[in-house]
This record gives sequence, structure tokens and C-alpha cells, in this order.
Amino acid sequence: MTAAKSRSFSTRLSLNILLVVSILFIVALAVVAVSSHILMSQEAHKSASNILDANIAKVEQTLNSVEVNVKNASWMVENQTVTDDFCYDVTRNLVEKNPFIVGSTIAFDSSYRADHKFFSPYSYRDEATGAIIQKRLGEEGVASFDSEWYRVPMETGQPHWSEPYFDEGGGEVMMSTYSFPLKDARGRVYAVVTADIALTWIDSLMKSIHPYNNTHAVLVSRQGHYLMKGNSKVDLSKQTVRTTAEFVKDARVSDIADSMLAGKRGSMRYNNRGQVAFTVYGPLSNGWSMGITCQYRDVLERTSKMHMVLILVGLFGLMVMFIICYRTIRHLTQPLTEFAVSALNMAKGNFSAHLPEIKSQDEMLRLHDSFEYMQKSINTYISELRATTTANERMESELNIARKIQLGMLPTNFPQSKRVKLHALLNPAKEVGGDLYDFQMKEDSLYFAVGDVSGKGVPAALVMAITRAACRFFAGMGLTMDKVAYQLNNSVADGNDANMFATLFLARIDLKTYKMSFCNAGHNPIIVIPPDGAPYFYKAIPNLAVGLFADFSYQLETLDLQPGTKLLVYTDGVSEAETSSKELFGDDRLLAVASTPEFQQMEPKEMVEHVYSSIRHFAGNNEQNDDVTILAITL
Amino acid sequence: MEVTINQEANKTLVVLNGRIDTTNADKFQQDIAPLLQGEKPDIEIDCSGMEYTSSQGLRIFLMLQKSVMARQGQLVLMHIKPQVKEVFDITGFSNIIKII
Repeated sequence: MTAAKSRSFSTRLSLNILLVVSILFIVALAVVAVSSHILMSQEAHKSASNILDANIAKVEQTLNSVEVNVKNASWMVENQTVTDDFCYDVTRNLVEKNPFIVGSTIAFDSSYRADHKFFSPYSYRDEATGAIIQKRLGEEGVASFDSEWYRVPMETGQPHWSEPYFDEGGGEVMMSTYSFPLKDARGRVYAVVTADIALTWIDSLMKSIHPYNNTHAVLVSRQGHYLMKGNSKVDLSKQTVRTTAEFVKDARVSDIADSMLAGKRGSMRYNNRGQVAFTVYGPLSNGWSMGITCQYRDVLERTSKMHMVLILVGLFGLMVMFIICYRTIRHLTQPLTEFAVSALNMAKGNFSAHLPEIKSQDEMLRLHDSFEYMQKSINTYISELRATTTANERMESELNIARKIQLGMLPTNFPQSKRVKLHALLNPAKEVGGDLYDFQMKEDSLYFAVGDVSGKGVPAALVMAITRAACRFFAGMGLTMDKVAYQLNNSVADGNDANMFATLFLARIDLKTYKMSFCNAGHNPIIVIPPDGAPYFYKAIPNLAVGLFADFSYQLETLDLQPGTKLLVYTDGVSEAETSSKELFGDDRLLAVASTPEFQQMEPKEMVEHVYSSIRHFAGNNEQNDDVTILAITL
Repeated sequence: MEVTINQEANKTLVVLNGRIDTTNADKFQQDIAPLLQGEKPDIEIDCSGMEYTSSQGLRIFLMLQKSVMARQGQLVLMHIKPQVKEVFDITGFSNIIKII
């Protein structure tokens, strides 16, 4: 059974539904994933941007406090002749006041002092003891006065934050120096007030920025030097953003470096060795720039977890849906299985097979009703068919009985004496027919008749029976053949509203004289085969077929025969045997059959059979459409 | 089998074509039904196109002849083909139906 191999209807339908829902689920999931990625990315950018602003503000606040302190100190010494001690006090005060300031100096140019030497009183906090120590720079050499912190503000006349430098031999930390220029009455810069700040707090500040794992925050100077030392793995003190960009080898990272150095604000997405990352960056008021770099992988980590949960919930939902679908469909289609059994039972012939009960008002009910209707129709049809078949069988059996009766009327005790031999064949086109033959030996005479009632079937058979009976009756009365025809005509014509008629050949052969007296009542001409001559049609006086008009006078004829003469009497079923193309057998072919030398040697039985097989051979596949009677006599 | 009936003044002209056999004898009888009505009919049947008639056909001719005689009319078959004429001759129908 294929049912066992193939999946059930409910399984297939459930799988189809599952497939469709799964596709929808996947599409929905994809939409959620994409949109949440976009959303999360946007959020990450925004949040990184906010963090950037907050931290820029923090750094600026600190730097600002340094700048304000330095500016305030500057007012105290500007355009005044100050003593060395006062300078020391001012710088000490700066270091004391601001914990970020680790050292401060006021560096005068050589013109300021009478001895034309650089002069720079310096105060700094000793990291180990916390004590503030004073020291005079400049006397030990001029190197310090070539430094950036001195040179740039002296040249530009503007306050300046120096590039970071490593305080070797000092605090061993990254440092930067803020320098504020002092101008004389003519506007010439003659000294700078400085504050050195350690950048270690920037290191820790940058490390504190981690909205996501693997977030890196950097603060770079105007020239791109890192303002923090970096972690143990990477020493940033020798690097700049440019060297970093070259290391990453992504043009966009170079763009970021350029933008940061140009003091721009922005954000950029790039690919760092397979990891997609983005950097937000912005300038500080002193020209420094801060950047925060986040990995998308970290940003999206949370959404990925959410997606996993979503997928698990979805899979569970799909499983539950499949089970529910399967059970529901199975329940709904259960009647189909039962219908299949019913249909199989019906196919096996049980037309009253039990049908499943349907309580729902749906297609199943319609199927049930259709099935029921079909059962009723088939049962009705079968009972009608039975009735019809019974009626037909009865009619057929009655017709068969009628055929037996009719054929039984025909004598079969064919004379086979030396004086006369006779044989006849009658083959109705239907069960019963209108042809007839009869013969009788009486004293020294042979009486015989061949007839054909118009039409075929039962009506013809009834007339045939009457005709045959009447024929015997009148012949038995010793009437001549013309008188027999006359009497027959009158009895058939009387009340013949159906206009039935019969052609008849009635004859009596006196076997002593070989004289044949006969009457041809509208019948086909007979064939006479003389023993020493060619066969010929004997064209008798055309009388009238019997049954047409009462009181018609039939004429008697006589013909002298001789021993050895053969006679062939037949009905129009022979001469008018047809092929399927309506070609008639015809008199010429019939005469040709009778003219063969073999035919001349035949006994009556063979003659009859030969003629019959000739016409059947001629007709081919065409059914016999008229009653056929052949009667042959040999004297 | 085709039957064409034309009424011309007092004369009815009928043209027969084809064969009359078992299969269409009933139709032939229906086709000539109009000829069985009217007083003193004068019917001419052109049989030049009639190929063959079975005994059923003859029966219908007989019925027509009887009907015409009962109404004191006349029936004539014309241009009948020799092989068909032979059937009329053999059965004696030539004696009761006028054939010219």
C-alpha cells in the first residue's frame, strides 16, 4: 500500500504550515536582527559620543583650573619688578593650591636681569615626601630655555600647552606644561609662567571609559602624541596617532588621525583586522583631541544574546504549533480516512457501506451528503438495472421460446428418396422472422412452399405463422396452388390494417409425370437447373403478393421437369444480401453460383449450404439484415 | 432517403431519392404522411432517384395506394429504375399501382 509509504495528509499539511511559519519567523527574526543592529549601532554611537563629551569636559575642567591658577599668578608678577623670593612664593603657591600642578616656574628672558642671565625660580612637589622644594633653573644651563614650553609662548605671545614629555629623572611620568606669557608695557614677552602637570590621571581617566568591553579611549596632543602611557602591552609614549594609523593600515584610520589633528569632531567606522569598529572623536579647547573606539562585536553582544533567546522561544513555538496543527488537522480529516474505507467497500460492491457520522457543518458534511446521494443513486440505478435486465431477460427468453416454436414449425424430415431429394435452410435476421418454407409428400406428389412476409421480427413472425398454418390447411383440402393462393390472400387481406403482405411460391410436383404446377404470388423467380443445360431464372406470371387485395385471381402455371432437374427456391434475403457499402448480391451473382460445374453435382443440402456461405462471404462483416431462406430440390 | 413534396394546383408532385430499407422505412412513412390527407388526391411520384426498396417500402406504397383509392384519387409512379421496377413486377405491385 502506498498509504503506508507516503506521509499522511495531516503530516504533510502540518509540515507545509510549519515551513511557511518558519519562513515567516526567519524573515521576522532577520528584520528584528537588522533593525536592532541598526538601532544598537546608533545607540552605541550616541552613547559613545555622550561619554566623549563628558570626558572632554572633565579634562577641560582640570586643564581650566590649571590655566586659571596660572593666569591669576601671572597678574601678580606681570609688569612689576619682583624679587626672587616673591617668584618663589608665587610658584610655591601654585603647586600648593592645585594638586594637579606638580611643578611651576617663572622663566625670565635674559633681558630682564641685569646680569643678562636666564632666570627661572622653580617650585616642585617631591613625589616621595610631598614636600615642596625650590630650585633655581637656568643656572645649571640654558637647555631648558630652548624647550617648547618656553620657546613657543615667547615667540607667539599666546598661552601654550606643551607636547607631552616623559619626566626622566623626575617623577618618571608623562607630563605636559602650561605656559602663560608675561608682556611688558610695550607688549613684548619677557617671561613665561608655567605649571607642569602629570598626566597619570588622564591614563586612569581613559581607562575608566569602557561602555563596552575592548573600548579604547585616547587623548592626543595637537601633534598627535598620546597623553597617556598606555597599558603594559603597548607603550604609547613613543607613538603618535599617525604611527597607530599606519599600523592599522586602514585608510579610514588615517582619516580619523587627520581629523583629530585638525581639531575636528566626528565619528568613523572602519575595519580593524577583521573586527568592525568605530571611533568617535572631538577636540578640546586647548587643541588636544579625545577619541573613543568601540568594537561592534561588543556593542552587539547584548542583542546577539537577545536573538538567541528569540530563536529558542521561536523554535519552541514552532514545535508547539506543529503538534497542535498536526493533532487538529488529524482530528478534522479523520472522517476522510473513514470515507476512504467506505469508498473501498463500495468499490468492492457493498453499495450500502457504512459512512462516517459528520456533525460539523462544513465540507465534510457535503462530502458525506454527496457520498450518501451517490450510494442512493447507485442503489436506485442498480435496482432499476436489475428490473430492466430481468424484463429484458424475460423478453429475450420469450423471444427464444418464440424462435424455437417458429423454427419448430418448419419441417426437417427432408425427403431423401431416389425420386426426390429436398433440403432447406431458414436463418432469421432477428430472433424470429417472416420467412417460411414448408414441404409435404402426399401420395406421389411433393408439395412445397417458400414465403416471405414483409418486414422482420415479431410482426412478420405472427403473419408468417398464420400464413404457414393457412397454407397447410388449404393445401390439405386438395386445392390447386392458384386456389390456395387465392384463399390465403383473402384470409390475410381480411382486416389487414397494418398492410402486411407475404410473397409466396407455392408448388406441387407430380413425381410420376415430373410436371410442376405452381403459383408465384409476388415471389422471387426460382432457378431451374436442367440436367443437360444451363441454369436459368424461371420468370413466372407476376401474380400479386398475398394480403394486398382480397378477391385477386391468381393464375396457375405448369412446367415440365425431368429427372435430374434441380430447383433452387429462395427469398430476397439471398438476392438482396448486402455488403457494408450497400452493394446487393443480385440475381447475376446468384445465377453464377448456380452455374458452376461443382454446384451441378451437389446434393440439395450442399447446394443450400454453398449458396448461404456464398452470400455470407459476399456480405463480409456486414450483419445479415434480412431473413434468409434457401430451399433446394433434386429430382 | 429524401422525400420532396410540391403541391401544384390540383396535383401533388413528389420526388423520391435514395434507398428505402429497414433502417429508414419508418421515416419514409412519416415523410409521406401529408399524402394521406385531402380529397381526391392526384399524386405523381418521381422515382428516378430511388435506388432500392425493401418489402417494408412496398408495404408503405401499398398503404398509400389503398389510402388514395379510398379517397377516389389517383397515384402514379414515374421514371422508376428497372431494378426497382422488377421488385414491383415480381411482387405483383405493378398490378395495383400505376407505373408509367
